[in-house]
Amino acid sequence: MTIHPFFAYLTTALISVSFLLTFIRLVIGPSLADRVVALELLSIVSIGGIAAATVITGKAVLLDVAVVLALMSFLGTVGFAYYLSGKAGDSPDIGKGEGAQRFGKGAGR
Amino acid sequence: MSGQLDMIILLFVIISGIGAITVRDLLGAAILFGAYSFLMCLLWAIMGAVDVAFTEASVGAGVSTVLFVAAVFRTTRRTKD
Repeated sequence: MTIHPFFAYLTTALISVSFLLTFIRLVIGPSLADRVVALELLSIVSIGGIAAATVITGKAVLLDVAVVLALMSFLGTVGFAYYLSGKAGDSPDIGKGEGAQRFGKGAGR
Repeated sequence: MSGQLDMIILLFVIISGIGAITVRDLLGAAILFGAYSFLMCLLWAIMGAVDVAFTEASVGAGVSTVLFVAAVFRTTRRTKD
């Protein structure tokens, strides 16, 4: 299955603009939450880029990479949310870092 | 299609790599390293190396980011030097 070359170039240009805007927010993001959301958006744009490359090149095996990338980006987002919430589970020796000290350990969160 | 997108993604890879080793915030460095891994995964996939893209997505973007965040959580967030 092939698409018209105009739409291939249009898709590439739109994905490139999305990369640029997301990357600007990733670099200049003043707070940590901005950067985490920008990283998530960057992973989603990467999945879109892989899907577009699948349609343009016709190699269906590239879709597996998109699936694994979606799964692992969710894992990374969970890790950052774990840091930001400041909650470190039930282990007694975890949670001595800044994230636990800022929010207080087990303070009803 | 592949040539222009390759160049743009390579430029972003260079920017995120330089940013990851120069930023003072260690968590920001971890995020920039995650962005580096995502972009390298996309680059490997576009260039046709599917298994390398698999490994980069699972190890680089998933596990190592979580390990860096866990290490920052247990220690401190700012660099001393």
